[in-house]
Amino acid sequence: MQKTFQVPHTPIEQFSLSNGLRVVLNEDHSVPVVSVALYYDVGSRNERKGRTGFAHLFEHMMFQGSENVPKAAHFQYISNAGGTMNGTTSSERTNYFETLPANQLPLALWLESDRMRSLSVTQENLDNQRSAVQEEKRLRYDNQPYVNGFLRLFEMCFQNHANAHSTIGSMEDLDAATVDDIREFFRIYYAPNNAVLSVAGDFDQAETRRLIEKYFATIPSHPEPPPVDVSEPAEVGTKRDTFLDKLAPVPAFALGWKIPERRSPEFYSLSLASHLLFEGESARLYQKLVKGEESVVQIQGGIDERRGPSGLFIVVIPKPEHDCSQIRDAILTEIRELATQGPSDEEMEKLRNNLLNSSVRSRQSSLYRAQQLAEFALYDNDPELFNTDLDNYLKITAAQIRDSVVRHLDTDNRVLLEIVPAPEEAAPAAPLEAGVPGQSTAPPPQVPITPDEAAQAGPLPAQPQAEPAVEST
Amino acid sequence: MTETEAFRRQLPPPLAPRPLNLPEQSVATLANGLGLVVVEDKRLPLVSFRLAFRAGDANDPQSLPGLSDMMSHLLTEGTTTRTSRQIAEEVERFGATLAVGSSSDFSTVAASTLSVYADEILNLMADVTLAASFPQNEIDLARDNTKQLLIQQRAQPNFLASERMSQVMFGRHPYSRLSPTPETLDAMTRDNLSKFRASTYIPNNAVLMVVGDVERAVVVERIEELFGDWQPGTLPDQNFPAPPKRSARAIYVVDRPGSAQSNIVIANEGITRTSADYFPMLLMHTILGANASSRLFMNLREEKGYTYGAYSNVDARRLAGTFRATAEVRTPVTGASLHEFFYELNRIRDEAVSADELKNAKAYLSGVFPIRIETQDGLIDQLVSIRMYDLPSDYLRTYRDRINAVSAEDIQRVAQKYVRPNEAAVVIVGDAEEISAQVKPYSDTIEIYDTEGRKKNA
Repeated sequence: MQKTFQVPHTPIEQFSLSNGLRVVLNEDHSVPVVSVALYYDVGSRNERKGRTGFAHLFEHMMFQGSENVPKAAHFQYISNAGGTMNGTTSSERTNYFETLPANQLPLALWLESDRMRSLSVTQENLDNQRSAVQEEKRLRYDNQPYVNGFLRLFEMCFQNHANAHSTIGSMEDLDAATVDDIREFFRIYYAPNNAVLSVAGDFDQAETRRLIEKYFATIPSHPEPPPVDVSEPAEVGTKRDTFLDKLAPVPAFALGWKIPERRSPEFYSLSLASHLLFEGESARLYQKLVKGEESVVQIQGGIDERRGPSGLFIVVIPKPEHDCSQIRDAILTEIRELATQGPSDEEMEKLRNNLLNSSVRSRQSSLYRAQQLAEFALYDNDPELFNTDLDNYLKITAAQIRDSVVRHLDTDNRVLLEIVPAPEEAAPAAPLEAGVPGQSTAPPPQVPITPDEAAQAGPLPAQPQAEPAVEST
Repeated sequence: MTETEAFRRQLPPPLAPRPLNLPEQSVATLANGLGLVVVEDKRLPLVSFRLAFRAGDANDPQSLPGLSDMMSHLLTEGTTTRTSRQIAEEVERFGATLAVGSSSDFSTVAASTLSVYADEILNLMADVTLAASFPQNEIDLARDNTKQLLIQQRAQPNFLASERMSQVMFGRHPYSRLSPTPETLDAMTRDNLSKFRASTYIPNNAVLMVVGDVERAVVVERIEELFGDWQPGTLPDQNFPAPPKRSARAIYVVDRPGSAQSNIVIANEGITRTSADYFPMLLMHTILGANASSRLFMNLREEKGYTYGAYSNVDARRLAGTFRATAEVRTPVTGASLHEFFYELNRIRDEAVSADELKNAKAYLSGVFPIRIETQDGLIDQLVSIRMYDLPSDYLRTYRDRINAVSAEDIQRVAQKYVRPNEAAVVIVGDAEEISAQVKPYSDTIEIYDTEGRKKNA
């Protein structure tokens, strides 16, 4: 059944400007569009206590105008040029991106360079965007079932505050942000030597290099930002906790583990192990619990991939009248099974084909290419990984998958969070602290209920396109 | 900071435009009426398939809302030669995807795969479409799980808003029904599922689309082998009671105590997908509320800070439609948000849009057009839409011309026809106790519902 296959090579050019800005280019004339991505090496990992949510709040501020761009004109200029745009913040980085008709590349470079060099920070802009961020928090977290519970999960898993707190931050810290805080944040982190610019799509190499030099070369570098400590003890923080949720219609629970950092040998193995456990309908846990024992409404999992210690989570909505601890035992038994027997030959074939399909499918999008290239440049100083990293996954053996599960998943070193519907109380949503049950909201049924810590969405919700989407199936 | 160079002071001019080459579609019809569209695209070793039927949730029998959805789900839960598990394992062993879903107007069997496995996946598509067996144990499991998902839905504010709005705007028309109930789920049997499949999954009401790394002649021959014996049938009935006409504004509150936000949806009767007003509506919507540069966003978020996002939506389906304006706003500014919504809805009626706004909206729609067909999924979704709604075959080629032909007068005409704040239905999902005083000034008619959909006494 196995057929030989090669993922097409993506041509990459890379260079740095004298101010330290790393640049990555991928020329592709398939479709007359171009995507531009700017990645800054700052995320929630860089936030200190009392200033959570800053990296994400700052991301909103980046759309509020710069020396030559009026407030909110960024949205206008991109839309009027026939483009789309957004930004996202995660624990690791803040990114900004736009996709435009190919001939509008200068517009993107002008906008990105102007805000890199001369962002306008005013009290009015700050107040306005603080409101928008607080509404985003209410929309995605406080007014939804289960989601705030997942934030508690991170607090339990990670002991280092840098890793444990949420990217959205707390209302109190957001309220406390001052204009001086924002200006200082800009000065420390928003510098060409702390950033990567990537361009993918239909452009001319020589012309593009000239434009990049023109717009970015005179932006001065800043001192290196302070290093951040994301180290963790091997142990999780709190092993077991209960979260009272006023908006959850039924109970749920989540299991969490710490796993080694991205691109470590075991991270590759654990990624593949997680796929076998909970991705798709042939996944072991889906077959066992949803189809076999019929004890679970939904089971989902995910990996929170970081440069430091990372996390692996499984989230379950059990059916009523099914014993949660029995469901948990079934999950741990499946993990034990994978730790003992390892994957089957069919499962290895599945992993291989899934990796190849994902690689090829995602490469269609110039935006995906621009983002991935920037990420490999930012984290690894090696954008060629876009072409070579797949091999690191493909060469993982069944034995390696088995051994990674033995060491990191088939272990007592894990957290269990039970989310319990709370009776109607008058208490408003309270900030979460270790051991204090707070409030949260129930998850929408068909939406993945894993925590969206991986990329806190930027200034704009993912919006349907201008043309009303034909209702998709 | 270094001195500002002169070239930074204004917008840079664009480079020379690059042409968009629309992919070529090869169109055919099999003897049994099955439509075929093939687009060869060898850029990547990938293929995407859509088998789409012009029958969806609206065709559910009157007594069985949700049947189409249930049938879609069960198609991949067992055939005459494969169990549910075998189907899942086979699809996923190829690294492929295979999913069936339905919307109001149509249903789709969708698959994507590396081109080396295209034949295997086409085989599976044929199997689930033609030989799904609806095993009893899978029906029972699906029924149970759906009942649990209904409970989850009711915890979701945007579901509650959609549910109430659909009831209000569509009345006895089948578009009013979003979900089954536990009772209707209990009434779904192998027998009525099979009958429904036989009457809706007919080749003469379907189109199979293929985009990707294929040889047209080879894939068409294979499709003929797999689907050629499929018998045509009678086209399903499309006669439904008309949606109610609105004559006055009314507010419908779905009480969600403790809600941190109010989900506001304001709607009027809209257009069908094939209406002659479609392109003017699209332009109007772009200016009013399509994206972050539009009036609703700039007002309610950028200026007032009430919300993370405020938008409009052209909900244009085969048989009827609505035009909506929406936002999720902080509870204490619910009334103030209504004020701003009505200000904008009246403004787009009363004043012609400016020449600049019109130019920019056209530039936006024209410009994002190639972005939407950059990937196989994007292109094939467009093809599905064109064939399912019987749009002209040159739709993609003439799209930008139709956009550019719209005038400010056209926009004001459709605004006055379809944006009618004094007759709008206003649905708000939020904390009734917190918002009732705020919303009172905006309508004489205020109805309150609980999250189960039951009307409460005022």
